[in-house]
Amino acid sequence: MSVFLQQLINGLSIGSIYALMAVGYSLVYSILNFSNFAHGGVIMLGAYFGLYALNLLSLPFMGALVVAAFAAGLVAVGLEKIAYSPLRKRNAPSLYFIISAMGASIFLENFVVATIGPTFKTYPEIFSTTPITFGAISVSRIDILMFVIAAISLAILVFIIEKTKVGLAIRACSYSARGSNLMGVNVNRIIFVIFLLGGMLAGVAGMLFGMKYTVYPQIGVITNKSFIAAVFGGLGSLPGAVVGSILLGLIETISAGYIASQYRDLIAFSLLIIVLVVKPSGLMGKITEDKA
Amino acid sequence: MKKKLTFLLAIIMIFSLAFTGCSGSGGDSGGGNGGDSGGDSGDTVKIGWIGSLTGDQAPWGKCESQTVEMLIEQTNANGGVLGGRMLELVKYDTKNDPNEAVNAVKRLVSQDKVCAILGPNASAQALAITNVLNSAHVSDIATVATNPKITVNDKGEVNPYNFRVCFTDPYQGAVAGGYAADVLKYKKAAILYDVASDYSQGFMQYFIETFEAKGGTIVAQEAFKAGDTDFRPQLTKIKEADPEVILMPYYYKEVALSANQARELGITATLMGGDGWPSDNLFEMAGKAIEGSYVVNHFDYNDPDVIPLTEMYIEKYGTTPEINCYMVHDAYGVLLAAIEKAGSADSQAITDALTQVEYKGVTGTITLGEDTHDPVGKEAAIQQIQFNTEKGEYEYVFMQKYGTQE
Repeated sequence: MSVFLQQLINGLSIGSIYALMAVGYSLVYSILNFSNFAHGGVIMLGAYFGLYALNLLSLPFMGALVVAAFAAGLVAVGLEKIAYSPLRKRNAPSLYFIISAMGASIFLENFVVATIGPTFKTYPEIFSTTPITFGAISVSRIDILMFVIAAISLAILVFIIEKTKVGLAIRACSYSARGSNLMGVNVNRIIFVIFLLGGMLAGVAGMLFGMKYTVYPQIGVITNKSFIAAVFGGLGSLPGAVVGSILLGLIETISAGYIASQYRDLIAFSLLIIVLVVKPSGLMGKITEDKA
Repeated sequence: MKKKLTFLLAIIMIFSLAFTGCSGSGGDSGGGNGGDSGGDSGDTVKIGWIGSLTGDQAPWGKCESQTVEMLIEQTNANGGVLGGRMLELVKYDTKNDPNEAVNAVKRLVSQDKVCAILGPNASAQALAITNVLNSAHVSDIATVATNPKITVNDKGEVNPYNFRVCFTDPYQGAVAGGYAADVLKYKKAAILYDVASDYSQGFMQYFIETFEAKGGTIVAQEAFKAGDTDFRPQLTKIKEADPEVILMPYYYKEVALSANQARELGITATLMGGDGWPSDNLFEMAGKAIEGSYVVNHFDYNDPDVIPLTEMYIEKYGTTPEINCYMVHDAYGVLLAAIEKAGSADSQAITDALTQVEYKGVTGTITLGEDTHDPVGKEAAIQQIQFNTEKGEYEYVFMQKYGTQE
């Protein structure tokens, strides 16, 4: 029983990392209807921003987190201006956006390899690495912290979207950008806000990921799984992204722990394919066509 | 236009002449048994060396060639080989390019008529020269080329003229398994391995065979895929199986992450690994978690057998030698023993003698197996990671040399 509980905690912890990353994908998808593959690159930069804020600026943890969030937010906005905005002005099909996003992602990875170098970096030990134990179960402090920060960040995001005027505009745009534009919503400004919010979440996710594991230029690859989790939960739906991520974390852990670790990805992704075949819009998705 | 064509034709003719000339003389010395050929032609005995003297592999190649020069000087000062014949070194730069390596070997066997070749210091080059060696009947002893296919080809046949003095990657698994069972007296082992890596799988397979043959049991065997960052589901399962030792046969990034997470989950078992571990980052990433772990390595600077050679090299060249210095020293030692055993500098006789001699080198006792051409049961250096309180940092501490026949 204690092993099962431990595995459950492992799964939740892995799932909450996926969730923080997946929400960024869903946010952009809900407005622009394309998968922003450069999100992984922004997460990776967030991890480096946090590291340098701690080491070079000697900021306390919360200060570094804020710096990482804003710096990553600005990068995301900049990417939008350079890589997507020109395409949007020409009404390019979503495929072009995806290609542009992939290009941006490869660029960011190689940029870091060329400037900072390909070696692994580690965060200084901010929180004690001795875990908190309940009987035979142990939970690391960073996991608890991650869970709390992920929950707070998502709560702030939900508040912005559900309770503020900007949020109303975002929701309106996600139903119909053209219609909202006709009603006097400045769609360009909404897109700016979306990328800023998505980028800030990426910064937070990157820094937490870097603290828990390590920092290296290929972190972005990990986000492939959170993208899949977002599709599984229903692209474009924020609760869907969270639920999909937590479920993916749990399925992975349970199949590695109780069936066979060699077949972990095989089992987890077979399940996902089955879910998508039965319900193509994902668990909580709203759009069924053009899922690219 | 016509002029150009003539010029081109002339070039082609020169090239084809050079080429046929080359292969012709290559076949000549390939006679092997034809008395004079194959290196046994003069008063001096010629030995070839190939390796990278330029390019990004140059630091290792340079160290290797300097060591050979130093050793040959020493041998000649002590009266040479075969009752007074002097040794002569012919060395060529391969520029870390397999094609250059092939050309260098062609020159060595046809023009210079060397009796045997030492080097190169990379697997790709050692693989490329096999055909030339076979047609010339001249042997090559590779130094740090660990790819299993260099000595035994895809069909499982041994390459007749390729030898090496370093052990292959999977053999480290046998050493780790034997050391865990024999010396550390462990009975229960768990393995975490990279399902997508040949290195990891071969290492694991040899570990299991040896550990079980010595009476141990494998209580858990869990997989991950390179690029994963979270190993807690697998480690939780391993923890439940309660092993005394966990084998981690993969590279330092995953080692650091999985070791940290194992300690986080409260696993106290000893950790073991191979030559994928050592790296500048490992201690920074996971010092505390891997303290007390054992690492199987090719050699150790603090091994008492190794120190005299280090001192000799530093005295002559003023810098600390690389691993190549020690490996080529042993390759050279095996070759000299084979020349004396053969009683002549005939390349075929030396080839036959290579598997007949036993040489106690600085990296271990070397006997080249007849059906593998790899060192049989060669010792590896076992190191333990310890915290040095004086220096305030982690370091590899030499435990002993250990080899296994299984």
